[in-house]
Amino acid sequence: MKWRETIFRVERRRLLACLAVLGIVLLHSLPSHAYAGPGAGFAVLSSFWTLFVAFFYSVYAFFAWPFRQLFRLLRRRKAYGKAQIKRAIILGFDGMDPELTERFIAEGKLPNLAKLRERGTFRKLQTTFPPISPVAWSTFMTGVNPGKHNIYDFLARDLSNYLPYLSSAEIKGPKRSWKIGKYTIPLGGPRIKGMRRGIPFWHWLGEAGVFCSVIRVPVTFPPEKFSGVLLSGMCVPDLKGSQGTFCLCTTRSRGDKFREGGVRIPIERNGSSCRSYVPGPENPLTGGSGDELRVNFEIHPDKGNQARFTVDSQRFTLKVGDYSEWVPVRFSAGVGFSAHGICRFYLKELSPEVEVYVTPVNIDPGRPDLPISHPVTYSIYLAKLFGPYATLGLAEDTWALNEEVLDDQAFLAQCYANHDDRERMLFDALEKTSQGLCACVFDTTDRVQHMFWRYLEDDHPAARDVPRDQRPSVIQDLYSRMDKLIGRVMGQIDDKTLLMVVSDHGFKSFARCVNLNAWLHQNGYLALKSGKTESGDWFDDVDWSRTRAYTMGLNGLYLNLKGREREGIIEAGSDADALKDELRRKLDGLVDPASGRAGITGVFDCDSVYAGPYVDNAPDLIVGYGDGFRASWDSVMGKVTRQIFEDNLKAWSGDHCIDPRLVPGVLFCNHKISDEKPAIVDVAPTVLKLFGLALPGHLDGKPWTVAPSTTP
Amino acid sequence: MGTLGVNVPALIVVGISLVIGLVMVVVFRYTSDQKEIHIAKDRLKAHLLALRLFQDQIPVVLRSYGRIVVATGGYLRLAFKPLLLVILPLIFLIVQLDRYLGWMPVEAGHPFLITVRMDNLKASNEASLQLPDGLAATAPAVHVPSENEIAWRVVAEKPGQYIVNIQASDETFSKRLVIGAGLQRLSPVRLRGKFWERILVSSEAALPENNPIESIAVQYPARSIAFAGLEWNWIWLFFVLSLAAGFLSKSILGIEI
Repeated sequence: MKWRETIFRVERRRLLACLAVLGIVLLHSLPSHAYAGPGAGFAVLSSFWTLFVAFFYSVYAFFAWPFRQLFRLLRRRKAYGKAQIKRAIILGFDGMDPELTERFIAEGKLPNLAKLRERGTFRKLQTTFPPISPVAWSTFMTGVNPGKHNIYDFLARDLSNYLPYLSSAEIKGPKRSWKIGKYTIPLGGPRIKGMRRGIPFWHWLGEAGVFCSVIRVPVTFPPEKFSGVLLSGMCVPDLKGSQGTFCLCTTRSRGDKFREGGVRIPIERNGSSCRSYVPGPENPLTGGSGDELRVNFEIHPDKGNQARFTVDSQRFTLKVGDYSEWVPVRFSAGVGFSAHGICRFYLKELSPEVEVYVTPVNIDPGRPDLPISHPVTYSIYLAKLFGPYATLGLAEDTWALNEEVLDDQAFLAQCYANHDDRERMLFDALEKTSQGLCACVFDTTDRVQHMFWRYLEDDHPAARDVPRDQRPSVIQDLYSRMDKLIGRVMGQIDDKTLLMVVSDHGFKSFARCVNLNAWLHQNGYLALKSGKTESGDWFDDVDWSRTRAYTMGLNGLYLNLKGREREGIIEAGSDADALKDELRRKLDGLVDPASGRAGITGVFDCDSVYAGPYVDNAPDLIVGYGDGFRASWDSVMGKVTRQIFEDNLKAWSGDHCIDPRLVPGVLFCNHKISDEKPAIVDVAPTVLKLFGLALPGHLDGKPWTVAPSTTP
Repeated sequence: MGTLGVNVPALIVVGISLVIGLVMVVVFRYTSDQKEIHIAKDRLKAHLLALRLFQDQIPVVLRSYGRIVVATGGYLRLAFKPLLLVILPLIFLIVQLDRYLGWMPVEAGHPFLITVRMDNLKASNEASLQLPDGLAATAPAVHVPSENEIAWRVVAEKPGQYIVNIQASDETFSKRLVIGAGLQRLSPVRLRGKFWERILVSSEAALPENNPIESIAVQYPARSIAFAGLEWNWIWLFFVLSLAAGFLSKSILGIEI
């Protein structure tokens, strides 16, 4: 040991000598001599600048605060004057199912939810017609039925051509452009129009001076101005403007297209390395010619089942089965025209073929080309604090798992990486919102249940090949994980805080597909062009002049109404009412001949379930599928097939777009709530009332009676 | 100005600044933890944004300020780690440049001071100056007893390099001085001991240890460089230009500073 001590002493002496030399140099030199290059110069300058700005802003905020309070009072923004609570925390677990929750509580797997149920409230939460996330979350935030917020599905139909468009937001090119030869110079940015109507309850809270942090609540894109911070959720597009287009780069020559959400890109071998590209948005300078921008990347296979990637100037190494971090990519169309995105690379295979999965290119939250937060700096703030994160509305790539581009493990890894980011954002928002509203929606619960329900059932068509003892307990683990999250949140609240855990709907099996367009065709309501027995996507080959009804999207059924649809043939009024009655009678209780079970358990007339200024945009009927059934993949895309009922063999094996009475959501609260049948439409008025605000007259929801004391 | 009307010192400073700006940024790139610096800078920006985003919440503002101070410390720690590697060579380079660019030679016909500092009053009273041909004292020596200093006002007839001798305690000590114009290597002081100060400001051999003279200084005029319509001390011009060059290089090379 002596030699070690000696070496240590020598090293220590050397270190001290070096420090002494440095100190002497710095102390003895003139101040100007202490300047040691631009690196140190930048460091010193930017540090002092940062401190200066921070100090100035802190002082400003400190001294401006009383004046801002006074300004609030003058504008009658009396925060917390009549409030029963100091803070409301709403955790939205998309798709958390009450029956599964009860089952796992009974099995002792959810101790924190059990505690909430025991000391506070647990109820089933009535969902919306139809029980689809954008519809239900729109109702959650506005406190009104869909007839007043105008969201009935992910998709709405264009009456002039029967084609779908995204129901929540419309993105168009710039208003003006300048054409020079074959080039088009856009003058201005893209135009984004939110299609959801109604006013989210955090606007009223903000008006009253209650600060709100709202994270990833669906249908908040484009973000609206209010007094608080908001990060948009479901319905934020990717950089291509789609709801998520993944990319499989492969050396395999198979050229068939993916049905949903993905593109196949060739990888070219070049000696020992490979080259491919990430497709990006359309070139804005070529004016709708369809030219897409690209970011090239190279793969250099190494020993040990790993490869070095070069994407722009960035280099990283991946092993087979590994994801990269978020990689910034810049799609450049020329000087001054570029789009900034982020994506992750997943190395699927290196030998004998090379395959790389690339996530949809998300809008870069640190340099957003479209507004994804309010204020715009909030998404930047989160990106600076935690690093890049998924911004795409449907960030978990369910299509890639459905198309077997990703396997279960890769999909789960992606889900939980996004989930971890969301947790960090939540806890930061909780820290920043010691008073006010903090609402955060987690999508993982929805996506994982959609994709792994097959392992919960003995005989799901999508998992018949998987022996029971080899089925992973993914959903149990998911609920347990969410319970732990709730536990950590409960550890941060006091008795003046209301904690609410809500879900927009529950979940059921999706084992059998119902092609309602096929049923309409076989029963004479939908006609195909002469000689056709099936249609293509989006009603290709449908004879509209003989079609009385059609369906697209998940639950809506439409009459081909004269004066409304381009080629409508049904007269509005008594003819339309009679047709609706006829369809309801025939469809309600429609039996699946293979199982003898009802594929449809309810058909609802929209005139009776909706009320409001946007009812005209609603479907005519809402179809409530039975437990185990859902609209078929083809029917959703406006396709007529020969089969009405068929097995669902996709990984997407659980669903909720069925009869709303079968899939209520959950409501947990740390306060006692006396109402026996709470509904998601009641959340907004309840929170407004708890903060002591008068309820706007147009709300459909009724505030719950919430006990003042809490013992979490 | 040079013979062709070219501002040679300014050209030298610009050239050196550009090269050093580029080299230092590249050295910084390879001696620093780029990823950690990127994260540290992003955190700083996040805390700054928090001040604006949550400005109505005083506790958040104060907490953010505290975090900014801590994050700044962390960032400086990361940024100054590479500095440890470059500071010594760069300081010696700057010192060498300072020999040429910091002062100008004394012009012929212009009086200047030669100042000698002794370690005791008696020695300073006995010291005398011996001038070579071409140099002449223009006034009697001035004694500053409180500083143990003695100063002579001298003038040169023509440009050239001269050696002046100081007689003290029966010994003679020399000092080199330069009369003329343009860029010349100058040593404004000759020192006894004081290793680091000698390294930084003198380019002459040390005075013997066992003699009463601490220093012999020549009062060269400070050089100012005309650049962009302003008169600059060369180190400030170097500071500004090397920062600009570094900033440009880091942006082009994608280096995190």
